[in-house]
Amino acid sequence: MTVKDMSRITRYEEDTHMLAGHHSRRDGIRYGCLVRSRLVALAIAVLLMAPLAVAPASAQEGVEVRSVAIVTPASRTNQGWDQQGVDNLIRVGEELDVDVEVAENLGYDDITPVLLDLASDDVDLIVCHASGYQTVCPEFAAAEGVPVVVIENPEAIQPGLVADIETQAQEAAYLAGVMAGNETTSGTVGIVVTGQPPTWNFMTVGFAEGLKAARPDARLVYTSVGEGTYDDAAAARQVTDTVLAAGADIVFGMGDGAAFGMIQAIREHNQQSPGQPPVRFIDVIGDKSGNEEAADLLLTSVLFDYTAAYTQMIADLEAGTFGQVYTMDLSNGGVNLLETKLAIRSETTEAVAAARSGIESGAIQVSSVGDAKGVDQRLRELFPT
Amino acid sequence: MDLSAIAATVLASAVLASIPLMLAATGEAIGERAGVLNLGIEGTMLLAGLVAFRVALDTDSIVIGLLAGPLVGLVVGTLFGLLVTLARADQVLVGIGLTLAGTGLSGFLFREWYGDQQPLLDTGSGRPLASLADHVPVVGPALFDQHWVVYAAMIGVLLLGPVLTRTRAGLLVRATGEAPFAVDAAGISVWRVRLGATAMAGVLGGLAGAVLVVVELGFFRPGVTAGAGFIAIAVAMLGQHTPLRVAVASLVFGVLQGLGPGLQVAGAPVGSDFPRLLPYLGVVVALLLARHRVALPAALGRPYDRATARQDD
Repeated sequence: MTVKDMSRITRYEEDTHMLAGHHSRRDGIRYGCLVRSRLVALAIAVLLMAPLAVAPASAQEGVEVRSVAIVTPASRTNQGWDQQGVDNLIRVGEELDVDVEVAENLGYDDITPVLLDLASDDVDLIVCHASGYQTVCPEFAAAEGVPVVVIENPEAIQPGLVADIETQAQEAAYLAGVMAGNETTSGTVGIVVTGQPPTWNFMTVGFAEGLKAARPDARLVYTSVGEGTYDDAAAARQVTDTVLAAGADIVFGMGDGAAFGMIQAIREHNQQSPGQPPVRFIDVIGDKSGNEEAADLLLTSVLFDYTAAYTQMIADLEAGTFGQVYTMDLSNGGVNLLETKLAIRSETTEAVAAARSGIESGAIQVSSVGDAKGVDQRLRELFPT
Repeated sequence: MDLSAIAATVLASAVLASIPLMLAATGEAIGERAGVLNLGIEGTMLLAGLVAFRVALDTDSIVIGLLAGPLVGLVVGTLFGLLVTLARADQVLVGIGLTLAGTGLSGFLFREWYGDQQPLLDTGSGRPLASLADHVPVVGPALFDQHWVVYAAMIGVLLLGPVLTRTRAGLLVRATGEAPFAVDAAGISVWRVRLGATAMAGVLGGLAGAVLVVVELGFFRPGVTAGAGFIAIAVAMLGQHTPLRVAVASLVFGVLQGLGPGLQVAGAPVGSDFPRLLPYLGVVVALLLARHRVALPAALGRPYDRATARQDD
């Protein structure tokens, strides 16, 4: 019984009492005592239930997790951010025998109705798989008591209610930068981003620092397709054409569906420049090496693997310890570099291995910059001209 | 940094990027000239683009793929035309429904057909004049290093100008958009003219989707048009429903689209929002500047009903 229910019952009893015609003074005193005693009971109930309003009983005590949901802004088959999250959660669900519900293509509008719908399906956990859901999901969790997971928002965590994933892939991006610095022949390397969310920003700075460390005289061309253009393949293609015209022979591209626009621009450029060293592409999040055409120019990819984080979250939810920051980094395998079929120089392999050792030992500290202004500032420091 | 190479690339890619927009906007202009506002271009482009992609992939022929797109557009445009003329359904609602249905259906079919795979077509060949590109600085690639479809589409769009202004069919289309009662009084079926115009708009919208997917990108993705169908509506109005002006407006939009990244690459201090903002800002400014000259057809968006037509006209 909730506080609201008790209040409603008290009011109902008061009303029926009056309607029954109990109007004598004695009855009035008795009625007053009754109301006072109900009020005292109500106050005690409020005091007892107050902590439960802050955190749901299920999360505090731990529950058996039977179903989890994931909400994504774009398609679950976009071969990027959204697909990786969905695929990883489904894999975890299969391993743990947990049902997985997927709500995709939700964009960045208010997704509260979808969250409410999922809550009505009695899901035990909702993974809000976009930094664009940083605000709405914690608010929803506080209002409805359904545990949620957010991306790149550690300030939002609440024990039992809100957990956070830090996809700080700057370390793996640093390795990709080292690889690019060793492999570029023109000395010009491009970064094409489809927005400036924290995840992209972490990788941009990590990559730039790795490039600078490996090739101090390199030139970096940083270009944005535009905010939220994750699937705008046509615009991404147009932007990549321009980056290639600036002389870049390696492009680090951050996009979901838009990445294919970058790949097509590079393919066409390579076809029209026979005899020239081919331009190569560094991807993020997913593995496109299964695609024959893309594999021909795929130097590497900064891979994301959420399975360990998702598995730990479900375990924490069942143990009653849910509500922490889960960081994906090189040491726990949350991020990594993809090995592709393209031949790279042995010096490059050694440089990447040395950089990995340096990061893992703490000798190399990679900056963690999530905001757009910080990215611009750091890039100006690294590549002033 | 070779700024002339960057400028040449910006212009060349702008020309290519403007072609789907040009085709879709010309189709929209024809429909609007006949009094029909079609908000379903986006959905038409997506459906046609998907089918064109599949056909091109299966037949290993870009030409056959390009033919499949307009066929899909014809079917969709005719269906739209029947709903808004014979059934007198609300043009705005049907158009939005068409876009939603096209977006959803194309995404669903793509996933059904290809799952997690992303096949890619070859877009590097088919440039008959490419050898001339190096002889002309800066604008050489924009003029000569283009796919043959670019030239064919431009010629086709420019030919539609005289068709609209100097032929009986063009006169009927324009008259139907301005004074359908007069057309009806002359013994000509208003709904047939409008149906023909919407079918033609569908063909051009379908061709736009096919060119985008098969020639410009070489692949299909759900939602690959990224709002191009809606931009085409603005470009049609900006071009005052005249193919030549629509073509110019499309080219300007394409250049503005490429200018933002070009400035970024050249080292200009512009933010990440700027590239996306610039073309739309350009459209808004152009619409404001041309506000006195952008005259919409008098009967645009109004279903024709003979019983009430006299007072409407």
